[in-house]
Amino acid sequence: MRTTKAVTAVAFAAAAALALSACGTADDKAESSSIADVSAAPKNKAATVLDQPFTKPNLVLTDTHGKEYDLREATKGKPTLIYFGYTKCPDVCPLTMSNISLAKRELPKADQEKLQVVFVTTDPERDTPASLGKWLSAQDPSFTGLTGDFPTIQAGARQIGIGIDAPKKEKDGTVVSMHGAQVIAFSPKTDEGYVLYGEDTTAEEYTKDLPKLLKGEAP
Amino acid sequence: MNRRATLAGVLALTTGLTLAGCSSDSAPDLKVVGAYLPQPVSDMAAGFLVVQNNGDTGDRLTSVTSPLSDDVTIHETKNQKMRKVSSFEVPAGGELDLERGGNHIMFMKLKQKPKQGEKVSVELHFEKAGPITVDLPVKETTHNPKKQ
Repeated sequence: MRTTKAVTAVAFAAAAALALSACGTADDKAESSSIADVSAAPKNKAATVLDQPFTKPNLVLTDTHGKEYDLREATKGKPTLIYFGYTKCPDVCPLTMSNISLAKRELPKADQEKLQVVFVTTDPERDTPASLGKWLSAQDPSFTGLTGDFPTIQAGARQIGIGIDAPKKEKDGTVVSMHGAQVIAFSPKTDEGYVLYGEDTTAEEYTKDLPKLLKGEAP
Repeated sequence: MNRRATLAGVLALTTGLTLAGCSSDSAPDLKVVGAYLPQPVSDMAAGFLVVQNNGDTGDRLTSVTSPLSDDVTIHETKNQKMRKVSSFEVPAGGELDLERGGNHIMFMKLKQKPKQGEKVSVELHFEKAGPITVDLPVKETTHNPKKQ
């Protein structure tokens, strides 16, 4: 009786070992790829404070009511966030705008009114003042949406280090547009763009930093 | 005699288990996890999920269909531009990650605007494996699980 048990146990162990080694490869790969994913995105702080801030671009465009909007004049002395994107963007653009909207709602009412959030389209051909207004107001009615000539928009973006290409029609008829890589915060004290936020900045991170940005301080 | 029979039976049983456990060696063994759809702000939406392949054979996601839209495409995102692709690789022993800020399923001309708490059904079609139907729970617009 004893022997039988022992033999059976050995047989089990051997079979189990075979089973494990046969499946080992796949498991190993899955494990190593998930480890790589984790280490690929080390990140401690959302904000990048610039040593050499940007001058506010001299941008005169059209707002969502069809009126002329002079960026420097309209946002002078006010804390301002600027982002370049387009409304036919299903992911990053609404994520960015909605995150800022959530963070803004956490501010005291008076501060909410001070903060200027400006979304400049990178696809002015498809984003009319009306369609841009509708898209923005679904996220936050207080946000400013701007459209105009693409070369004017591109030149303005370039002045603050944001590279955007003109929308391009592909062979299959789809249009490939591009959004800016960063949100830029302008100080109410200096009117300079002094802090950058990447596209993976969360609502919580904006919520934490906005009170400082309102005062023109480094977050 | 009795002993032998028992042993043979045990061996046969474990071998059977071994084969069943690794039948994926010659075929993709796909599983979908972490699916969601952020509540859209316009007439388009993006869907995100992870396709895990526990098999030893790679596969490709070739198309997605859904009752939400007749215009569903798969998009890659590179350098702040997104572009339609014909398929995505689901590597053997690896996974295809469709995540915020990256590759995604794009729904155009939505038939209705799904609200947070609802579910959107999609059918994923692969080159080798059979189609997989999965429900995408609709989350808040800012939902981004990789940051939580």
